[in-house]
Amino acid sequence: MLEQIKQQIDRLKARGATYADARYYPFEESNQLFMQNGNLKNASSSRESGVGVRVLYKGAWGFAASSDLSDLAGLFDRAFENAKAAAERVTFPIRLAEKDAIQAQFASPCQVNPFEVPLSEKVAFLKAMDERMNQPGVFLRNAYLTFMRKQIVFVDSEGSQIEKLITEVFAGLEVDGMDSQGVMHERKFRLGQMGKPTRGWESIDLDLFAANAERIVRELNEMLAAEDCPKEDRSVILLPGIMYLQTHETIGHALELDRILGYELAYAGGSFVTLDDFGKLRYGSEKLTVRADATLPNSPGSFGYDDDGVPAQNVLLIDKGILVGAITGRQMVEEANARAHKQIFNGSGGANRATAFYRVPIERMTNINIDPGTDGTLDDIIANTERGIVLDGDRSWSIGSNREQFHFATEIGWLVEDGRKTKVVKNATYKGFTLPFWNSLSAVGDESTWQLQFVENCGKGQPNQIMQLGHGIPVCRFDNVRIGE
Amino acid sequence: MREKILQTLRDLRAYALSKGYEVSIDYHEEDSALMRFANSAISLNTSEHIIRLSVTAYAGRKRAGYDLITDLAKMDEMKMAVDTAAEMVQHAQPLAYQPTLPVFTEDFADESNFDPALAALSSEEKLAYFNAAAQGLESDEVKLSGILSNGATTLAQINTRSEHTQFFRFSDAQATVVLSHLKLKWEVQAEQSAHTRSVLDPQPVHRDLALLLRLYQREMPVSLPLGRYDIVFGQAAIADLISMMNWIGFNGGSMKRGFSMLGEDKVGQRVFSEKITLTDNPARPETFPFRRDFMGISRHRFPFFEAGVFKGFAWFQDDADEFGAQPTGHTVMHKSLILEGGEKDLPDLQALVEMPRENDLLYIPFLHYMNIVNPSKGLVTASSRFGALYLKKDGSLAIPYNVRLTESLLDIFGEKVAWLSKQTAPYNTSMSYGARNPTAMVVPLFMCVKDLEISHSNTSY
Repeated sequence: MLEQIKQQIDRLKARGATYADARYYPFEESNQLFMQNGNLKNASSSRESGVGVRVLYKGAWGFAASSDLSDLAGLFDRAFENAKAAAERVTFPIRLAEKDAIQAQFASPCQVNPFEVPLSEKVAFLKAMDERMNQPGVFLRNAYLTFMRKQIVFVDSEGSQIEKLITEVFAGLEVDGMDSQGVMHERKFRLGQMGKPTRGWESIDLDLFAANAERIVRELNEMLAAEDCPKEDRSVILLPGIMYLQTHETIGHALELDRILGYELAYAGGSFVTLDDFGKLRYGSEKLTVRADATLPNSPGSFGYDDDGVPAQNVLLIDKGILVGAITGRQMVEEANARAHKQIFNGSGGANRATAFYRVPIERMTNINIDPGTDGTLDDIIANTERGIVLDGDRSWSIGSNREQFHFATEIGWLVEDGRKTKVVKNATYKGFTLPFWNSLSAVGDESTWQLQFVENCGKGQPNQIMQLGHGIPVCRFDNVRIGE
Repeated sequence: MREKILQTLRDLRAYALSKGYEVSIDYHEEDSALMRFANSAISLNTSEHIIRLSVTAYAGRKRAGYDLITDLAKMDEMKMAVDTAAEMVQHAQPLAYQPTLPVFTEDFADESNFDPALAALSSEEKLAYFNAAAQGLESDEVKLSGILSNGATTLAQINTRSEHTQFFRFSDAQATVVLSHLKLKWEVQAEQSAHTRSVLDPQPVHRDLALLLRLYQREMPVSLPLGRYDIVFGQAAIADLISMMNWIGFNGGSMKRGFSMLGEDKVGQRVFSEKITLTDNPARPETFPFRRDFMGISRHRFPFFEAGVFKGFAWFQDDADEFGAQPTGHTVMHKSLILEGGEKDLPDLQALVEMPRENDLLYIPFLHYMNIVNPSKGLVTASSRFGALYLKKDGSLAIPYNVRLTESLLDIFGEKVAWLSKQTAPYNTSMSYGARNPTAMVVPLFMCVKDLEISHSNTSY
């Protein structure tokens, strides 16, 4: 198959293509299990294979994909014809940033292949968790396991050939309960890195899940008896269960270079960031340093090489509050530098990824991480807060189309008065404008507060693509934030 | 092609029966194409041909599934999918209820919603559409974005309970055309949904874009003070609000799980304005309708709200099985939702802008990134986007920076509804996650709701 693909790439080059690549998926498999109130509502697996072909012709992209590999020439021709049609309307001819021709292999760290674990063992795990959550106050209990494994062979017309084997494990628990007014509340636990060096079945730690099942049930019951969150301005202390989403929505998406350049305006939206802002914009307080680090050893945001064939990197995005970098791929950095008439970006940041063989690669978050700070533990931060609220868990999120403002609802809140937690509140929300919010960052927790959270369903692009990634974040405190609306 | 697909399913059924399996087999085939514009150029031109096979195996109260991306020539691979699902179900855990495997009593095929000319729209035709929709409107600062997605979707079903099959085939197109200012960052948009080639017409899109562009280039932007406003929602916003209601309003499973603003005690009561009549009507071809559901139930007009009175919940088969309810023919990929129009004669955006008005009106055509803050209360939040207008009662207008609403659906569709436009049109709500599923609902062009709160107002575009 590989030789046939290479022949087709050579053929398109001979026909006038300036660049071509193909991503061949010998297989991509998934296994999903979902138990609700003891019912195994979903026990399913899937398998797919196919080829996606990308062709650059006279400065325009064409793409075609198929699971039917019996007519490779026809598939490559379709991609080429699509590029020729797109070349009828070009305003900024696409160029790709330089990269090395790479012959390489990558495998994500995995000790026990989850696809070799018997289904009965997985179901037993869910059943054990379901029983653990089946306690007074819990109206609805959910437990899920999701496993993915895919082999991708990337070949391009510049001499690269990269083979990747990626294994993903996602798992979580959720309990829901109804308060005396008939309003539903929820509390979740999702598997993150949790200090584990690998990402296979071995990361499903029964003791870890059992302890968290007990915790979320306890916190749900505290919430059911709690008062509503007050409507006022307070310091908000965000735990990793909501801090990851704040980072994701108002730093990650805002710094995708294709959004900044207007390539997502038809759907996902743009960004308040402009090319003039790099090196100058004070995005946050001096306590804020952010990286796009695709080199972490165990995260869905680490993938060895992106779908341009560029090695994964650790890219500085925000340095002590100043915007210095973006989430980039080969096409966008060239266009950004040309449009800005200066060298903002020194090559691709290696963040161009596609969700499947039948989707085209676009800029995606890797692991968008905030460096740990020097403001101590969570207890230290609470002790140094006069009037605040500790928030955790994502319940709802909505962000302006240029990522300039946001509204989040969290699962739970704990009011803080004079340096100590006083009581739990329910229906906690907060909102703000992105830049003033990040500039109000007044405390960043140390490494003891830092967690790598996994995201399994980030949506972007047309046709829409679901991507997996990570966020390593510490506990953070922001001042004068509106809550309770 | 239909016969080849159905014969493949029959062969797989025969294989399953020979092994003593109890399975249902679902086939999904898509021919998808999409031309995407950004910065006044074609940024992407794609075509994908994908065949998905889903096998669900049953053993008493146990159920397990196996999905495959494949092609019709790979019979061995498809048989492997049947074997794998049958193997998996042995290790599954019994449900607390008996899941229903339907018995199709006759063959059913519906290709009445398939127009080959729309399914096979060429790149040249798509480019011509964009050129016409944006003719004379682009400049050095105003750039064209958008998509024109078209394709064909084929669905087929069989199971071991019966030799009969179900077959559906649709064609569809969705056009979204956006003009945005490179530096100021405002955006205006016009959209179109098509179920036949003849419906696809760039002229109405061009008309609305030209009007919005003129207003956005001429009028002053304002940051609206926080407070309460009479709001006119456009088609996209109305459709998005109804999509949320479809989830946390009249869905029986959501209600039983506590994720609904309506309880069983509300059936038969007036919960919305009497101006609100919302039905599921598979007789409307603009909605890419399913005339049978996936359980073989014949689908007919089904009212959810009539003159504001809640008529009943929609039940998926699995939810009905779990909670002991009667299935309502809603085991489908999408409903055919119709929000009836009102009495206000407003055929287009120009008419709204020129309409005499007693109060200031905030026109919000599109709600960006709507999410549910509290399902029990029907509370949702979203920001305005794509061409909002502030229509003052003195006849003048201003361009509002985007604002945020956090309101309950019970209020938005409740007594605060002032009027709905007489004119309705299909609005395409297709999501491009996963398998192709052309979806549209028919809604009024405009709906005015009084006294809603703006809780957040931007200070720039």
